[in-house]
Amino acid sequence: MEEEDEEARGLLGDRPEGDNAVPGAPRALPALCDPSHLAHRLVVLFLMCLLGFGSYFCYDSPAALQTQVKQDMQVNTTKFMLLYAWYSWPNVVLCFLGGFLIDRIFGIRWGTVIFSCFVCIGQAIFALGGIFNAFWLMELGRFVFGIGGESLAVAQNTYAVSWFKGKELNLVFGLQLSMARIGSTVNMNLMGWLYTKIEASLRSPGHMILGVTLMIGCVTCILSLFCALVLAYLDRRAEKILHKEQGKTGDVIKLTDVKDFSLPLWLVFIICVCYYVAIFPFIGLGKVFFMEKFGFASQSASAINSVVYVISAPMSPVFGLLVDKTGKNIIWVLCAVATTLVSHMMLAFTFWNPWIAMCLLGLSYSLLACALWPMVAFVVPEHQLGTAYGFMQSIQNLGLAVISILAGMILDTRGYLFLEVFFIACVSLSLLAVVCLYVVNRARGGNLNYSAKQREELKLSHSE
Amino acid sequence: MCRCWGPYWGWVPCAPTPWLLLSLVCAAPFGLLGEETRQISMKVISSWPNPQNLLHIRAVGTNSTLHYVWSTLGPPAVVLVATNTTQSALSVNWSLLMSPDPYGGLMVLPKDSIQFSSALVFTRLLEFDSTKVSKGATQPSGKPYPPYSLAEFSWNNITNSLDLATLSAIFQGHPVDEPTGAFANGSLAFKVQAFSGSGRSAQPPRLLHTADSCQVEVSLDGASPRGNHSVFGLEVATVGTGPDCPSVKELHSIDDEYAPAVFQVNQLLWGSSPSGFMQWRPVAFSQKQRNRESAVPCQASSLHPTLAYSLPSSPVVQAFFGSQNLCAFNLTFGAPTGPGYWDQHYLSWSMLLGMGFPPVDALSPLVLGIMAVALGTPGLMLLGGGLFLLLRHKQYSEYQSIN
Repeated sequence: MEEEDEEARGLLGDRPEGDNAVPGAPRALPALCDPSHLAHRLVVLFLMCLLGFGSYFCYDSPAALQTQVKQDMQVNTTKFMLLYAWYSWPNVVLCFLGGFLIDRIFGIRWGTVIFSCFVCIGQAIFALGGIFNAFWLMELGRFVFGIGGESLAVAQNTYAVSWFKGKELNLVFGLQLSMARIGSTVNMNLMGWLYTKIEASLRSPGHMILGVTLMIGCVTCILSLFCALVLAYLDRRAEKILHKEQGKTGDVIKLTDVKDFSLPLWLVFIICVCYYVAIFPFIGLGKVFFMEKFGFASQSASAINSVVYVISAPMSPVFGLLVDKTGKNIIWVLCAVATTLVSHMMLAFTFWNPWIAMCLLGLSYSLLACALWPMVAFVVPEHQLGTAYGFMQSIQNLGLAVISILAGMILDTRGYLFLEVFFIACVSLSLLAVVCLYVVNRARGGNLNYSAKQREELKLSHSE
Repeated sequence: MCRCWGPYWGWVPCAPTPWLLLSLVCAAPFGLLGEETRQISMKVISSWPNPQNLLHIRAVGTNSTLHYVWSTLGPPAVVLVATNTTQSALSVNWSLLMSPDPYGGLMVLPKDSIQFSSALVFTRLLEFDSTKVSKGATQPSGKPYPPYSLAEFSWNNITNSLDLATLSAIFQGHPVDEPTGAFANGSLAFKVQAFSGSGRSAQPPRLLHTADSCQVEVSLDGASPRGNHSVFGLEVATVGTGPDCPSVKELHSIDDEYAPAVFQVNQLLWGSSPSGFMQWRPVAFSQKQRNRESAVPCQASSLHPTLAYSLPSSPVVQAFFGSQNLCAFNLTFGAPTGPGYWDQHYLSWSMLLGMGFPPVDALSPLVLGIMAVALGTPGLMLLGGGLFLLLRHKQYSEYQSIN
């Protein structure tokens, strides 16, 4: 390609700025421009974190504007929750295909750019649905957004693995997740306020104001797309300079492996699905719940709805460290699920200040993520890991898609108390699965509940 | 605002006295013990020569009778009387009733059997322009338009709308002389329904009723509003039992199963329970298909004593109570934004009216069942799993390892 020729010429010949000098050549690169130097990798880390910002910012825009969407587009809660369901539907299949697409078809750089484009275009179509007052267009926008959203997360992780190794990797994953959650929090607290400001300045019908607000949210997606382009450039440059391989997900997905999954793994899947369907649809519907039951104003209701994300941003690394140091994953999962059960019961059956319940929910959500996902790696051999994680993500998205619609229907016909009781039933199913997992693990002498020391001993004895 | 967590997993009146004790100690001499079932009889008492609507609903229990006397002579009004005998009867003197001083035209005999009596008058239909809300609490609903006085409405003949199968009757009316023609295709209707036992109505807000209560459904249909964003309201007057006016209590409830997203029940008690009560959910509906999308909030102002002459007077109330000062309050239905009367030119609101103990909502058996299973199963599983592991441990500990 022309650009490669130019670059090759640049390496051999003179160039006005010293950007593309070969390492080992007499002139060393400035720290910021040297791909092997920490300063440059921090810049890359910053860009990688911003990559997911737009996607997570726009994922929860329906939740932040629930009342406005329902009033301006004249839809009930069931149809409103379709906006979340349509995001999850493509990911039932894409979780298996994401790694394949990145490794074999597009490559990490083009893959990231393409997925960022999907995110951008999806959000733009979503906004256009508001401007043209067509709810079907909004659903289409969310579908396109969904195609890009989760796959972008896979690409983000692949970049992380490619640029950071060993102990740094956990920190990087943690930072990426924190940044994503910051994006969600900013969205929750900003979009409602933005809508009121635009409503005050524009004399337009409601759906137009909604569309304009969502289009402004699209700016964050354009920011992510820009980061994707810059990252692609920097990654290719680093490949040339450091002669390193283009990052691969390393996922080998073989659907036939599913029949080899053990009982503990299936129980982990059940815990995952039953737990997350009681969290994300709840946050999607939470704002109006806090306004109608506890009498919060719109802004405070948005703030309290975002508490789960606000807490998970700093606590995820902390809990990650805790679980790493102590082990005993099943016990931590049990604590997390039980705390979530208590939190939902508080929200359903009392009028106590919901800040308490939501803080508990945030803490337990972070703890569960840190304790549950590593368990898959403990029970599954390495060559099946890709399939196992892909399957877990896939059924999680399937559960979210179905339960989102169900939650909307329950709310329209039976009200919030019944919806909370439904979520309590889901969490209790998850709790049942945890208890079963503990018993099965104990009975079979499994290693899921080993303490950190026991795991070290196991690793040492295997390496001998 | 009272927030009370009560023994019925729902709301309880915030009176500190446990009402169960009250019911045992104080209700017996009052005879308002709360009957399970009552025999309902509905009779239209016709007048001559000008037909006026006078409906007498008599709910007879084992040792008490409740009388509801509904009339549209003047503004729509109901006289509530509770007696502690099954033999009490209503006596109507039409010539007195139609005279300028109607006192004595309506009587429940024997007089000494009367345990409680009061009246409710729907005096005016209010309308507010919700786009012109002034800062401050003076007019939270908006700038008021001139109200419609319900004393100047003409009503249908109640005999035609009486349905003895469902124990209901509908009073439907429109202004007699209305220059703007707002009610050309519209009407204001009061549907009164009596109950012989407890149950829950099928239509939202699905109020729970007992044999001691009857349901009143107010609906405004087809009247043209005077602005683009008109919010309607109703002015209601009651006869107070005592020097102070009773107050509307807002009871918070965790249970919104039957009225989705409404976590409150408003209650007006004429005295300390058991007494006359008015109970409603602060929600009205702006479409005939009553669902969450068409729900509009309902606000009730506080009751203030009003001089009798400033309100449209009801001859029926004067006939029973004489000249009395009334306590009046406003109910407004709707908010400036969201669903409202402007959607389909329809508004409906329901309330319960009765004498005795107000019905108490409880969690449905389905919710209780799900909670029992949801909390019980993991607990049982933990117990079972623990036992299983213990037995296995005992079984294996009997083995002695060879080396």
